[in-house]
Amino acid sequence: MGAYLVRRSFLMVLTLFGMSVLIFVMLRLVPGNITDIIFDSAGFVNEKQKKKIEQQLGLDKPIVTQYANWIAGLAKGDLGYAYVSEKPAIDEILPRIPVTAKLAVLALVFSVLFGVPLGVISAVRQNTALDYCLRVVSLSGLSLPSFWLGLLILMAFVQWFGWIPIYQSDPGSLWKEIALLSIPAAAVGFRSSALLMRLTRSSMLEVLRQDYIRTARAKGASDQVVNYDHGLRNAMLPVVTIIGVEAAFLIGGLIVTETVFNIPGVARFLVEAIRWRDYPIVQNLVMFIAIVVVVVNFLVDMTYAMLDPRIRYES
Amino acid sequence: MRLKPVFIVASALVAAFLVATPAPAQKQGGTLRIYHRDNLPSASIHEEATISTVMPFMSVFNNLVVYDQGKKLNTPETIVPDLAESWAWDASRTRLSFKLRQGVKWHDGKPFTSKDVQCTWHKLIGKDPDDFRKNPRAIWWHNLKEVTLKGDHEATFNLNRPQPAFLSLFASGYTPVYPCHVSTQAMRTNPIGTGPFKFAEFKRGESVKFVRNPDYWKKGRPFVDAIEWKVIENRSTRILAFVAGEFDLTFVTDVSIPLLKDVTSQAPKAVCEVAPTYVSTNLIVNPAAPPFNDARIRKAMALALDRKAYIEILSGGKADISAAMLPPPEGVWGMPPEFMRTLPGYAADIGKSRAEARKIMQGLGYSEAKPLKVKVSTRNIAIYRDPAVILIDQLKQIFIAGELEVIDTSIWHAKVTRKEFAIGLNLTGIGVDDPDVNFYENYSCGSERNLTQYCNKEVDALILRQSQEADAAKRKTLVWEIERKLVEDLARPIVMSDRSATCWQPQLKGFVLHHNSIYNNWRFEDVWLDK
Amino acid sequence: MAALDHAAELEKAGANVSSRFGAMLFLARSYPLGAIGAVIMVGFLATALFAGAIASFDPFTINARDSLAPPGGAHMLGADFMGRDVFARIVYGARISLAVALGATLLGSLFGVSVGLMSGFIGGWFDLLVQRLIDIMQSLPLLVMALVMAASLGPSLTNTIIAIAIPLVPSVARVIRSNTLSLREMPYVEAARAVGMSELRIAVSHVLPNTLAPLIVLATAQLGSAILVESALSFLGLGVPEPHPSWGRMLSESAAEYVRTAPWLVIFPGIAISAVVFGTNLLGDAIRDMLDPRQRC
Repeated sequence: MGAYLVRRSFLMVLTLFGMSVLIFVMLRLVPGNITDIIFDSAGFVNEKQKKKIEQQLGLDKPIVTQYANWIAGLAKGDLGYAYVSEKPAIDEILPRIPVTAKLAVLALVFSVLFGVPLGVISAVRQNTALDYCLRVVSLSGLSLPSFWLGLLILMAFVQWFGWIPIYQSDPGSLWKEIALLSIPAAAVGFRSSALLMRLTRSSMLEVLRQDYIRTARAKGASDQVVNYDHGLRNAMLPVVTIIGVEAAFLIGGLIVTETVFNIPGVARFLVEAIRWRDYPIVQNLVMFIAIVVVVVNFLVDMTYAMLDPRIRYES
Repeated sequence: MRLKPVFIVASALVAAFLVATPAPAQKQGGTLRIYHRDNLPSASIHEEATISTVMPFMSVFNNLVVYDQGKKLNTPETIVPDLAESWAWDASRTRLSFKLRQGVKWHDGKPFTSKDVQCTWHKLIGKDPDDFRKNPRAIWWHNLKEVTLKGDHEATFNLNRPQPAFLSLFASGYTPVYPCHVSTQAMRTNPIGTGPFKFAEFKRGESVKFVRNPDYWKKGRPFVDAIEWKVIENRSTRILAFVAGEFDLTFVTDVSIPLLKDVTSQAPKAVCEVAPTYVSTNLIVNPAAPPFNDARIRKAMALALDRKAYIEILSGGKADISAAMLPPPEGVWGMPPEFMRTLPGYAADIGKSRAEARKIMQGLGYSEAKPLKVKVSTRNIAIYRDPAVILIDQLKQIFIAGELEVIDTSIWHAKVTRKEFAIGLNLTGIGVDDPDVNFYENYSCGSERNLTQYCNKEVDALILRQSQEADAAKRKTLVWEIERKLVEDLARPIVMSDRSATCWQPQLKGFVLHHNSIYNNWRFEDVWLDK
Repeated sequence: MAALDHAAELEKAGANVSSRFGAMLFLARSYPLGAIGAVIMVGFLATALFAGAIASFDPFTINARDSLAPPGGAHMLGADFMGRDVFARIVYGARISLAVALGATLLGSLFGVSVGLMSGFIGGWFDLLVQRLIDIMQSLPLLVMALVMAASLGPSLTNTIIAIAIPLVPSVARVIRSNTLSLREMPYVEAARAVGMSELRIAVSHVLPNTLAPLIVLATAQLGSAILVESALSFLGLGVPEPHPSWGRMLSESAAEYVRTAPWLVIFPGIAISAVVFGTNLLGDAIRDMLDPRQRC
């Protein structure tokens, strides 16, 4: 296990290093550089003044030096300055994380609350009308674009309640904030809940086919005990892992949902920063996302190893 | 012999005006809530050329003089004192002196003096070492030689030549006085002014907040305690939020005509005023790109424009056909309709014009079967894209097969400046309804914001003549002559001058919308909330 | 993951396998949801191919008088701000969706298969390198990766296809690689090697065909996500640009302006996206059940 941990950690660092190179290079392929964009709001471009800005931002240095400066800064915890706002990048990114995290947690809660029980029901009642019905619903969850769902929700609220559930920076109370955030969270969580439900169902079915379940049934255990006691417990392992992976990947869905609901989180900020070619923001945010994903994957694997004694990590 | 300048005691006039209007009892307090439509670039008004910056940040500053915030039209007669108590021209009409208000303090407590005035304008003309990193309105001040001081409370602007409209340039929201002791870099992120509101917080893409300046030099002003701007990029969302009562005021001209019906039916108590945006939709043709270096093709294109159709689609028939200047009644300098109809391409019978255009194109060897293929470039925003799609549709009529090329909005101006386009569709907003501003900025040789680099020495001479003309009536005829020339040269054919609505809730009092510029009435010192 | 011998299965079940139609009918009966998915997909394909015959309006022609015309009347699903027919734009939009979805999936699979196959066969440092690259690419969610790609390539139809295809590569490569590794040890591959067949030939003629089943399952799933990612990219303004009538962009523009005044502009393109993705998902499920008997119930 120790050797495995070392190897995994090494690979994690390697992956993140690779990501940093990839994102750095890709950003510099983007048509139009930051100085053009800084000038855009002035409605013209002055080449001389542009050169000066490039110098100030260090964009005139060779790309390797720029990369080295970035990484050296990262190692010291210095993310550099945002080009557009001229504030430290960290001050732009950090305050936006809590709201995104809250949304992600709510979305996960939503998806687990709906996905897991419905998946179990679907598996236990396999091939009944109920099962078909639930499967179609879950498939539709994977088919509706979450931004469209969000728009429909917004339209419905305005149509029927004359009120629009958009983000407020100071909602008053925690409960009010949760209530406000739970609407977009549901729009994102719908997809994850569908995914969870499908996974729970197939995992359940898999387990229910196993020999020990048959044995239990043969020994005369009740359906109740077989399905929920033996079945569910063993089916949960892959479900737990997928919850972990989903948690990291929710950010994809959050990008559009934060845009639709006008929530000032990191996910929407990424799109804005890309549009503004604000390299320090984009590259640091992408690294942040990559770190979250890699670490979550690692934790998931560890949990798996601990929960399932059959898995042994030998290298 | 030097004549002693006669200072106009304008403050007395203002006092008289205040007495004349029966003012309702203003209430103190409350937060003015306004939505913002997009990401504002920076807080430094002098470095930006967009309403996105001016509208929120004008309330932080004062100008030397300003357009009366309580009158709908900006004219030379509605210019009122601000940080300058009075002003006067010398006999040569090349020296404009301002007597400055005493006892005014910057938001950080430092006193305001004539040095600050000198600094600000020396930055604008590149005479200050800490100059602006972008200086979009440098051309406004091309006639300014230097600013000289007499003590702490008098500044004199020395011009190269007489320019009667020079004072108008000071009255725009684009022309605040900056403090000398704050770096231009700091002004972008943490602006310090003398105005009624202090800058409090700017969260990118989220909100901008201002709080009341308790030491404001105008006693008893402002009335509201704070102004809170919230950024909502999606237009339906923000209009829905306004209808739901989340905001007191919309972003200026944000409620387009197709959306206005919805707002007035959903929020019947809201006050909505349709006014010219003074943002023109125009065609830019790169004269260096063949075959558009051929004047005949450019003429054919001008003849093919069906301005009525644009106005019908884009503004439900409300926008105006216009030449370079904003047409009357709101426009002070625009030409009368009967004069406009005589311009090439402005005739009422579009069928006839198009037939003429087709003849020109046929003469050049193009036909239905063999059209001229061209890319029509525009910015990737609906207000640019929509007219571009109409343009392509219209050019089809004269054997030009246009293909839309959508340019990433952030690099649009860079591409245009580098002339990486053949035909483009552009929007141009004018800061002050004055020919000097419009002509020098957009049509004079060498101006950085003259996007097509149109240059006609004859027109330049005419621009100079009208700029020196003190008689308004004579100046107008010169202006119209220039406009005709610009149309004939296809400098930047104006497709239309848009109109759009700005709405506010009934509790917002004391707010007056300007009708011939969107850039100049955001001081917010006279508005109050009746709650 | 051996594929089933469908003919034998069908025979056993007493189906009339002599006619193709009969076989299809049998399949449809055993996978009713899959059949519905297939019908949706065929409808979608037909719409894309025969767009000109289906739509009575040209999707590009603008018409001032019909600006924001409600559904019914001349415009079945209404008209947009420019007076362009929404139905025609949705019909032509099927082409864009199809082009992006098929293009990206095929491109992604092509790369993924070749990389995965090579990685499994060559092994050694090459395999290690590929695995690390896959790790890197999989450390970002699909949409984030596509977003960065789309931004760095610039907006155009081809670039959108590439931007979506690249993030699809790693999962294909990973599946193909693991299949290749297990297939390499199969007795018939050993046999082929023993008779002196070249590694390349073994890879192409013996291993590749046997990885098809999981590839097809994966590709159908990716088809759906490619459509969703395209619509999300276009919604964010980084996807297929004008004048192409992309569903995602139709949504973003109308949603930005006319949610209240003209809700049909928001509702119909969304339905189109959802229906097609729903179809691919139904079909994908059925194909997976068919090819992977362990999942079958």
